[in-house]
Amino acid sequence: MGVALILRNGCLSKTKRFFALPSSAHTSCFHCGLPVSGGSACEAEINGKKRSFCCAGCMTVCQVIHESGLDDFYSRLNYQGAEAPPPETPLDLEQYDLPEVQAEFVRALEGGKKQAHLLVEGIHCAACVWLIEHGLNAMDGIEMAEVNLAHQRLNLRWDSSRVALSAIMLRLGRLGYAAAPFNPETAEGSLQRRNRSLLFRMAFAGFGVMNIMWISIALYAGAFSGIDSEVKQFFHWISFCIATPVLIYSGWPFFRAAALGLKQLRLTMDLPIAIGSLSTWSYSSWITFNASGEVYFDTVVTFLFVILIGRYLEGLSKRNASSAALRLMELQPRLATRLLATGEERISVRKLQVGDHVLVRPGEKLPADGLVISGASYIDESMLSGESRPLRKEAGANVVAGSMNVDGSLTVEVCSVGADTALARIVTLVEEAQGSKAKVQQIADRIVPWFVAATIGLAAITFIYWLRNDFDTALLAAVSVLIITCPCALGLATPMCIAVGVGAGAKRGVLVRHGQALEILSGITHVVFDKTGTLTEGRMRVAQVIPANTFDQVALISLAAAVEGQSRHPLATAITAALKGKQLTCVSFLSESGLGVSGMVDSRRVVIGNLRLMQRDGIAVPEQMQQEQSRIERQMGVAVLVAVDGALAGLIHLQDRVRDEAGALIQSLREQGIGITMLTGDSMAAAQALKETLGEMHVVAELLPEDKEAEIRRLQAGGEKVLMIGDGVNDAPALARADVSMAMGSGMDVSMACADIVLVSSDLSRVGFAIKLAQKTLSTIRQNIGISLAYNVILVPAAMAALVTPVFAAIAMPISSLLVIGNAILIRRRIG
Amino acid sequence: MDVIFGLIPAMIIMGLVGVLIFFWAVKNGQYDDMEGPAHRILDDDDMPDKKNDADRLPK
Repeated sequence: MGVALILRNGCLSKTKRFFALPSSAHTSCFHCGLPVSGGSACEAEINGKKRSFCCAGCMTVCQVIHESGLDDFYSRLNYQGAEAPPPETPLDLEQYDLPEVQAEFVRALEGGKKQAHLLVEGIHCAACVWLIEHGLNAMDGIEMAEVNLAHQRLNLRWDSSRVALSAIMLRLGRLGYAAAPFNPETAEGSLQRRNRSLLFRMAFAGFGVMNIMWISIALYAGAFSGIDSEVKQFFHWISFCIATPVLIYSGWPFFRAAALGLKQLRLTMDLPIAIGSLSTWSYSSWITFNASGEVYFDTVVTFLFVILIGRYLEGLSKRNASSAALRLMELQPRLATRLLATGEERISVRKLQVGDHVLVRPGEKLPADGLVISGASYIDESMLSGESRPLRKEAGANVVAGSMNVDGSLTVEVCSVGADTALARIVTLVEEAQGSKAKVQQIADRIVPWFVAATIGLAAITFIYWLRNDFDTALLAAVSVLIITCPCALGLATPMCIAVGVGAGAKRGVLVRHGQALEILSGITHVVFDKTGTLTEGRMRVAQVIPANTFDQVALISLAAAVEGQSRHPLATAITAALKGKQLTCVSFLSESGLGVSGMVDSRRVVIGNLRLMQRDGIAVPEQMQQEQSRIERQMGVAVLVAVDGALAGLIHLQDRVRDEAGALIQSLREQGIGITMLTGDSMAAAQALKETLGEMHVVAELLPEDKEAEIRRLQAGGEKVLMIGDGVNDAPALARADVSMAMGSGMDVSMACADIVLVSSDLSRVGFAIKLAQKTLSTIRQNIGISLAYNVILVPAAMAALVTPVFAAIAMPISSLLVIGNAILIRRRIG
Repeated sequence: MDVIFGLIPAMIIMGLVGVLIFFWAVKNGQYDDMEGPAHRILDDDDMPDKKNDADRLPK
């Protein structure tokens, strides 16, 4: 859970609201307002009235709300409906009662009371806030439940001796919300705190600018039309009183950084800022105390304000690099069921030892790497291997921690735990890759030391040269040089462009985590794609229904879906999803592992499965169907045979579909001369089949996560700048290793945490957009640096010749900043 | 014009007080949730409270 999730939710509710109006003509779900259709629809009597629901989830939630006497929720919804069915309640809530798990996010208060923040999925309006607060406050043991609507967070304080946290989360689940623990400290971290302090300093400088400006205007006017010396002196003192606190408070970060830089013998941008503002302030203060001449306090304050804007924008574009390693470890369940001679017990995964026997029920994740002792089930290892189909595991097979047990119970002997598991190996890989990634120096950073040295040198030369005339002219000229060269425009050039670029990206569903990503992205020479889930959709879908002789497609699907509706196998889910009409009921359902399923629908016997099942049941499969089947299998699809009343009725072709926009993207990348590689954990045949549809590219198949990372390193060793696009846990090391990486928004949290850029809508055409955006942003940065350097080249000689007064310099400086800002805003137009 | 000698410092001090109040409000979390409280103030508890109803019945 994280930023991406919240965003996704936000987008979801908006689109749903948009579609809610036209659909209200049909029956809409009483709870969520979505149209009621398909096999999942159901009805229930609530408060004496018959209500229809789009799914069982909505119905249960509504019943709970009614039973708790919280019916008012529906009158508060403003008839918009809740806009989405409730999220699924997370499994294994008891894990949150374990002290070692709670240590990560719960704060213990006096008297056994505890406090925690929960991130709540499913909150979308004020009615939700009301429902959660009233639903929870009615529980025994809850001290305080406060919902933050803007951040979808719940601030909870409870008495742990009277109620368990899992019970509170279960209650939330019953009300239709999924809660996850959330630690504001780790989520926001020091970066956010630093940004906030920068915002305060910027706001204070802004306050100073506003007030000092109108005093300056009075002084400028006085310079032309005459001013009482007493009033002038008074205004100087007022300016001094405003500028001094601003210099101390707002300028503090620059002074500290400049001092630090000097100590390490490095020339940083902070040094000329510190020297410029300090010398201008000292000169003006000297004038004020001696009551003669002009002051330039306004220059100091405006200058600090503009620089702080740049710094703040820079800080905003740096997103918090959330710990990918931490998220990876979260894939592992926290609880395991250990089998003992006396029965079973639920224990923390950390207490598991090699040799323990654990029971893994359907729908649970494997707690450790191990060997199956008894039982048989399909295991979904897609996150680790990239294999899109669940694998069948029987006694003697190896299983890995974090993979999902799909349909049967397994007893597993634990072979390795903790740091020795395959998952932990990936964690180490990710950490190493992130740690060793060379830090790319930003353009502006490369120029800065030279620029700083030149500025200070020129100011010193000017001062010494004019000292032969008199001290006043010398100081004035030197200060003018410093003010003019003050790297305002240069300091704004990069952050402003990146802020605009990042903002324009976010509007189109491209989330850029930090500005550097854009800079690197503009110069990539090679794109590496993951296959499953990135180039393809990553899940099986019905591609084609081929009926035999007299059957029609609709009848075939509705019979098959009726039977498959009883099964939890992913292929069954895909077939059920293809059903458009009402779901028929199926009786005497029978599932035969490794063969298929059968059942009675409308008093017809339906058998669905592979060739072996058909042969065993004595059902003839015509030659033409067998040919179809082998053709489909060559394309890495799955062909499921359906027989009705002892005769073959047809064949359902399931395939992981290539994303629609993949072809166009690869075509355009090739035209730009960018190399393309596809990496996959799948078989070579599957990869080749995809290559045939997408066109020429380099293909490397049958890879482990570490191989993918090695492949990226090999490309980098050949001098390529690599962009990696992936979606799964198995891509995480490669994502971290690549020069710049993108993750699909529909993918795993971990891959999003590793990636520099997240494609929110999982739309591959956004890759092309992101590259274009990066190129435009970079060219604008170059233009901006050009503008600010040109300004210096023209004005510095004039200042050195003592032709420019500091007042003129003070006016010219903001103009150059405005030029740079304006040019940056044009990025939005340039990307069209 | 002598009045400006008093008024200008007074205004700047007032402005400063405003800035300090703003800083306090931000640090105090007053701007953390810009949406929720606006709705919450309109939420009166119109759930029928049985105990109160019983009290209100004419004797």
